[in-house]
Amino acid sequence: MAQQRDEDNFRSQVEDRLDHLFQEDSPEETEENVRLREHPLKGLKAILLSIDWEITDSTMDSLLNEIKNVEYIYSEDKIILTFLQLLGSIGRYLKVNKARAHPNATRVINSVYEALEKAALTEEMPRAEKEKMLLEEVANFKKLKEQVVLRKVEKKEPAVSKGAPPPAPAPEEKEIPVTESFLPEETPVGARAEARFAGMSPHEAFAYALEEIRDVIRAEFRTLRAEIKLWRESK
Amino acid sequence: MAIINLKKKEVQSKIVYYGPGRGGKTTNLEYVYKKFRSRIQTEMVTIKTHGDRTLFFDFLPIQIGRIRGYDIRIQLYTVPGQVKYESTRRLVLRGVDGIVFVADSLAVRRKENVLSLKSLADNLASYKKSILEIPLVFQYNKRDLTDDGIPLLPVEWLEQDLNSELKAPYFEASALKGPNVAQTMKKIILMTIDSLRKDLT
Repeated sequence: MAQQRDEDNFRSQVEDRLDHLFQEDSPEETEENVRLREHPLKGLKAILLSIDWEITDSTMDSLLNEIKNVEYIYSEDKIILTFLQLLGSIGRYLKVNKARAHPNATRVINSVYEALEKAALTEEMPRAEKEKMLLEEVANFKKLKEQVVLRKVEKKEPAVSKGAPPPAPAPEEKEIPVTESFLPEETPVGARAEARFAGMSPHEAFAYALEEIRDVIRAEFRTLRAEIKLWRESK
Repeated sequence: MAIINLKKKEVQSKIVYYGPGRGGKTTNLEYVYKKFRSRIQTEMVTIKTHGDRTLFFDFLPIQIGRIRGYDIRIQLYTVPGQVKYESTRRLVLRGVDGIVFVADSLAVRRKENVLSLKSLADNLASYKKSILEIPLVFQYNKRDLTDDGIPLLPVEWLEQDLNSELKAPYFEASALKGPNVAQTMKKIILMTIDSLRKDLT
């Protein structure tokens, strides 16, 4: 009996501490959330939030469809339409390249969306300011395009030591289109993989796969080093 | 295994947030860290890949304070959810005292949830721990997305898939917006400390 009381007392003490630690300060609802709930961009935001790094065709299709829906709503607003065009271009690039996409692609798509949301939700924002935000995002987009092209060139020109076996072919990386007329042709993933391995002997295909893995690991380390450097600089 | 220092009267316990990739484990810790920043008074450590994915683990220490003369500290960890980081997940589970399994409510992630739970059971078994015995709380995350028309798994299905045998407590939550994030954490801390209670008395 006394032991039970003791246990209850202990539990109650812990609960009190936790209640204090996790005490709500204020309701979480922000002005932006309220506006967003009533806003046509909310679907787009939800899909962007649910985009996985292992990007699936269905998620990306949902994103591209939702962009079309929002384009229809904002058909009179050229600034918003250009934001949406940027989102669509990066979205299609991500859909085609998936995990092989340039690491900055997801950052840029999120940055474009944030600017779009600000431009669309802030009614009192002057047009000049919206244009400025748009230009910044276009610059980010162009920079990403350059990075994609640069990476593609780097992959095509690996350093080959004397006597080393010939390099495996670099994996395809679709560039980001600027306008609709340059959109990449949508090809099923399986078909692309088959096309890539077509004509290769099993050991060549294996070497090719190893090369791809090596590229991924190298990209991870490159980015890690850059992040560690940034972290050190910020200290 | 909790570290109990009788001389210093300190208890250090380890809780791990486990679950499939992109399920919201890191978001849980980030929410708690930001929301209760003034009272947590510690730093959250996180190492991410270029795609903002957890590479090794996230770490958030929380001090509960002194109870019965013991200074109680909780160490909260997440594991990287992506399939390829299995060895890191196993490593993070070493010495774990309590688990929050963050399941992804998205309909398309049903299989990933089941596979992740299986990997949890296997990894615990490698440390001679049973998923049936360790303090465990389920969190069915991303429930807020239903408002946006995104197909979600009904809670009954999640319960059936994951919790039919374990019968652990569960919460429907949104790690991004906050509902039931703190409640999940409170529950697992309470259960974990409860399981350590015998050592303290």
